[in-house]
Amino acid sequence: MRKVYLDAESVDFMIVPTKDLEFVFIQTEGKCTAKINLKPERNSKFKVKIYIYAEGSSEVDCVCTLIVPKEVSGVETDIQIRSWPFDKSKIKARPEMFIANSNIIATHGNALGTLKAEDKYYLASRGVSDYKELIKQSLLNA
Amino acid sequence: MLTIKNLSARIGDKQILNNINIELDRGKCLLVTGQNGAGKSTLLHAIMGRPDIITTGDIHLDNLELHNIECHERSQAGVFMAHQSPPTIDGVNTMTLFKEIHKVQNIVGTTGELIKLTKSLFNCIGLPEGWEKRPFNNGASGGERKKNELAQVALLKNKTKLLLLDEPDSGLEQSSRQKIIDLIQETKNQNGCVLLVTHDKELQELYKDNQLDLSNA
Repeated sequence: MRKVYLDAESVDFMIVPTKDLEFVFIQTEGKCTAKINLKPERNSKFKVKIYIYAEGSSEVDCVCTLIVPKEVSGVETDIQIRSWPFDKSKIKARPEMFIANSNIIATHGNALGTLKAEDKYYLASRGVSDYKELIKQSLLNA
Repeated sequence: MLTIKNLSARIGDKQILNNINIELDRGKCLLVTGQNGAGKSTLLHAIMGRPDIITTGDIHLDNLELHNIECHERSQAGVFMAHQSPPTIDGVNTMTLFKEIHKVQNIVGTTGELIKLTKSLFNCIGLPEGWEKRPFNNGASGGERKKNELAQVALLKNKTKLLLLDEPDSGLEQSSRQKIIDLIQETKNQNGCVLLVTHDKELQELYKDNQLDLSNA
C-alpha cells in the first residue's frame, strides 16, 4: 500500500499492517503533524517506508510508532524514514517502538539530508540542476 | 572540434594535471592512457566541469568556451560523460530522471514516446524488467550501473558532440563490449568527438592510433 499526503495538516491513524506500507509526505507550505501507529497481529511480516519532502518554510513533525503487546509474537518488521528538508523547511521525524514480547524482530532507520555533492554533480552532468523538483516528482510518481 | 590548451587541474592541494594540450577533430576518438593515478579520470571530470576540480587553461568545443560555463550547461551543450562509478541517488526514481533529462536536453517527442524508448533501451542493453521503476541505481550491481550509463549514451546519441567514456567496460560482460564500440562509432558518424579511458586491451588495440599518454602529466 502506498499513500501520498500533499500539504496535509494533520495525519493520525492506527493501522494493522498485513503487507508492506509506504507513506509519502510532500509539504510545500504550512505545518504537518503526522502520527502513524502500527499495531501488528501475531506472526505478521511487513516493511514500512516513510518519505518526507519539505520545501520553503514548511514543517513536518512525524512519528511512526510500533506497538507490540506481550501476547503478540513472531512479528518481523523494518521501519525506514528518509527525509529531504530543502530551503528553510524543518523536518522532525522519528520511529518509536514499544515492544513487550521477546519473540520479535524489529529494526529501524532514520536518514535526513538533501543530496550529496557527488549526486548533484552526477545530475548536473546530465543537464539537471533543479534537484528539488526531481526529488518531488520522483516521490509523487514512483 | 575539441581544443584544450594548457589545462592544469588540482583537487584541494593535490596537483593532478599539468599543461595538457589536446586537439581532436570532429568524428575522432582519442584513447587516454596512463597508469593508475595518472589523471585519466580527472581529465574527463575537468572537461565535464566537476565543481571540486580547480582548473586553469582553456577548453573549447567548437566556439563554445566550456571552461567558462557550469557543469549542467556543458551537458546541455552536448557534453556527455559515462561515469566510472555512477552513484545510487536516494529518492530519485529512474524514469523520473530520464523524463527530466528528456526535458532539459530538449529531446523531441512525447512523454509516451520517451517512456517507450527508455524501456526499449533498458531491454536492449540487458537491464532487468522493471528497471525504470527503481530508485536510481538502487541495489544495482557494477555491471548494471554501467549498462544504465550506456542506455543514457544511447538516449542522447543524436545530441552528443563530445562523449567522455570513463572505463565504460569495467564490470561488464564480454558480450557488452560490442555495444560500447557501436556507440563510439555512432557518435563518430554524427561528427561527435570521443575521449575513451579504458584498461581493456581489445578496446585499447582498436583505438590505439590516436592516443594520449598521461603517464608524465
